[in-house]
Amino acid sequence: MSKIGNAIHEIHYIDTLATRDQWVNSIHPLVKFVLTVGYIMTVVSFPKYDVPGLAGMIVYPLAVFLLSELSFWDSLKRLRLVLPLVCLVGILNPFFDRQAVTVAGIRMSAGVLSMLTLIMKGVFSVLASYLLIATTSVEKLCYAFRLLHIPRAMVTQFMLTYRYITVLLAEVNRITQAYALRAPDQKGIHFRVWGSLAGQLLLRSMDRAEDVYESMLLRGYRGDYGYMRERIAFRRQDAAYLAFWAGIFVLFRCFPVILLIGDLAGKIAA
Amino acid sequence: MSHIHIDVEGVSFAYEKEREILTDISFHAAETDSIGLIGANGVGKSTLLKLLVGLNLGFSGSIRVMDIPVEKRTLSQIRSRIGYVFQDSDSQLFMTTACEDIAFAPRNYGLPEEEVQKRVQQALSLTGIEHLRDKQIYKMSGGEKKLVSIATILSMTPDIILMDEPSIALDPRNRRNLIRILNSFGHLKIIASHDLDMILDTCARTILMSGGRIICDGNTEEILSDQKLLEENGLELPLCLQGRSAFRAAR
Amino acid sequence: MHMADALVTPAVAGTMYVCSAAAAAYSIRKVRLDTDTRKVPVMGIMGAFVFAAQMINFTIPGTGSSGHLCGGMLLSALLGPCAGFLTMIGVLLIQCLLFADGGLLALGCNVWNMAFYGCFIGTLLIWKPIMKNGMTRAKIILASILGCVLTLQLGAFSVTLETMASGITELPFAAFAATMQPIHLAIGFVEGLITAAVLVFVHEARPELLYGASGEEQKKNRLSFRKTLALLAAAAALTGGCLSLAASSLPDGLEWSIERITGSPELESAGGIYQTAGSIQEFTSLLPDYAFKGSDSALGTAFSGIAGCLIVVAVCVGACCLFKFFRKKRSA
Repeated sequence: MSKIGNAIHEIHYIDTLATRDQWVNSIHPLVKFVLTVGYIMTVVSFPKYDVPGLAGMIVYPLAVFLLSELSFWDSLKRLRLVLPLVCLVGILNPFFDRQAVTVAGIRMSAGVLSMLTLIMKGVFSVLASYLLIATTSVEKLCYAFRLLHIPRAMVTQFMLTYRYITVLLAEVNRITQAYALRAPDQKGIHFRVWGSLAGQLLLRSMDRAEDVYESMLLRGYRGDYGYMRERIAFRRQDAAYLAFWAGIFVLFRCFPVILLIGDLAGKIAA
Repeated sequence: MSHIHIDVEGVSFAYEKEREILTDISFHAAETDSIGLIGANGVGKSTLLKLLVGLNLGFSGSIRVMDIPVEKRTLSQIRSRIGYVFQDSDSQLFMTTACEDIAFAPRNYGLPEEEVQKRVQQALSLTGIEHLRDKQIYKMSGGEKKLVSIATILSMTPDIILMDEPSIALDPRNRRNLIRILNSFGHLKIIASHDLDMILDTCARTILMSGGRIICDGNTEEILSDQKLLEENGLELPLCLQGRSAFRAAR
Repeated sequence: MHMADALVTPAVAGTMYVCSAAAAAYSIRKVRLDTDTRKVPVMGIMGAFVFAAQMINFTIPGTGSSGHLCGGMLLSALLGPCAGFLTMIGVLLIQCLLFADGGLLALGCNVWNMAFYGCFIGTLLIWKPIMKNGMTRAKIILASILGCVLTLQLGAFSVTLETMASGITELPFAAFAATMQPIHLAIGFVEGLITAAVLVFVHEARPELLYGASGEEQKKNRLSFRKTLALLAAAAALTGGCLSLAASSLPDGLEWSIERITGSPELESAGGIYQTAGSIQEFTSLLPDYAFKGSDSALGTAFSGIAGCLIVVAVCVGACCLFKFFRKKRSA
């Protein structure tokens, strides 16, 4: 049952990362959110054979990793869900797309290139989301969502889900541990208790929701609570950060920057 | 007569028609009263507390808080004056950090942000947990969560405090701290608990309940030292009154 | 079932975002969260419940493997389709942000594939008609299994469609669909059983919690059913239109624009074989005086690519170090 323990640990860990005192963490959450979405859009919009163009997009995650002093190796385990999926879809490309292409003197099928870009797209987009959540706390993200005019009720609901995930995960952990202690050699929950085990938890959660609602009512909640009244100021450096990266994304997407630089280097060397 | 008081007259309550949980409850609580609400599991202590803040409205009889009858249209008026601490801190603390949670009520009542921050600071120092200000709720221990829950209602500067099993999940030092906080609160407080020693330390008056009725209402020392009365109603003498000799005799 | 960002193009992702946002906007209007304040905490905490309950491994009898709970169907059987849908959005957003399960860009697709089908189709087409004349144990089991199987089939088919429309795999459509559908038939059946077990338990313990248990709700929902069907049809038409547009007429925006600039993709070396090595050579053709052009242009591209990459990385690392150095100096 360490899976649940891991999940709890991961939430705590990311939260610790997001609340560190780093320059990147202090950038306005909306700027980081917009940049992350923009980056992922740019990355996935690259043509499927454009390996060098896509390779240039590494500058953003690389720079943010360096600036935020996050551990690159920690982030790799977040690829465990995406890489198998992407590889599964991409692995057949070399067999179906058999048109030949010569790279560095080696003849290979064009499918290899498209598989490569697919994997790069997968890795880059996951890294970018990781860099967002590891430098921005969920409360600040919610603040950004409010600025994007996502309805208040939805944001509150999202916050509550986030808040109670750890409570309920811990409860599930206790339940499954208690179950495992009395049912040795079973990998999961036996089908006879499927309903009652999860059902009990569901009823308790419903009761808890009722308690939370009452607790909110007793403290004056009338459905219009605007949290984070302390406004996050939009500073000049936020604008500069946004403009800089947006410029880089456009530049790398519209021009073969990597090839131009490499070409120039080749000329100088020659 | 001061304005802070609660009057309960002939209150009965049932979730389902057949099974009455509270039967004919009547008492008067004055401004300086500190009342311990005791009784075995399931005698209706929590239900009674919930009735006082109007969380259940389908009761018969009358409940008046500061002369305002508890009914649907007066709820927000009543609730702004009463602080209610839930038994389960996780249900009470639904924001992410202590500071956000403590600020929830003052912000809902529309106080300016400056005043909100002042209230938060006051509540934190009253409970002695300034160091928990920005800590995530889910990283706190049970004791820390309880103290934060208490701070969340202190920030409303309530006239009346109701608590449901506050000393549960507290280690001896935090429990001592809780007793200190309770004793420093000068207005009306009603505490439902099985921790009879804490009641002895914090409440001058005790209401003993059994089977949904008030069995006895009077001086705490008298009630809590009446072994026969307590045992008839599923309780025992407070530990500090049991003494080693009684313990040995029982063995 | 969670789609990753890499599997979609911006066009497909955007289309699905619009569809999901439309369904969300409709749901918010429908559940009237602003007046019914009780719903917000219930939805928030049930979202956390689904998240946690999906972590439980339920052993499938007779096999060594385990199954999980189907969130959309369960939530809408408890909260109704609209509230269930909004709750699922929260769950999917957290899964994508905190656990990298599904991507930020693909969120629109994931909401559609899992939450929309699970909540709206599962509830309105299966759950409600079956529960029309009262609720029984057998009916709950039937509805749960049918609902989960149908919604997972639809979801899997959408994943196939969205991936194909994005043009990221060379796998033929039929082969892709033929692998996706049967797998999800089995998963749907197991998820349906688990969901049924939980709902039957709730039905026995607290039947009033189930959606459509009271007669009054039924009346209100008849109206919304027709509206939802209309919404569904509109959304489906929109999706279909946009997807086919994205799939057929615009193979790729950039390739297309380069073709227009250069007249035609440059194919000088060996006839048709190199045609699809397209982009790289098109890029090289953009460079005015390309150093290695000629006999072995591909080697030149590879060299330029690697050299360029190394230089860019070095510049980036250097710039970051300098930036940090000066910041520290200034704050010191």
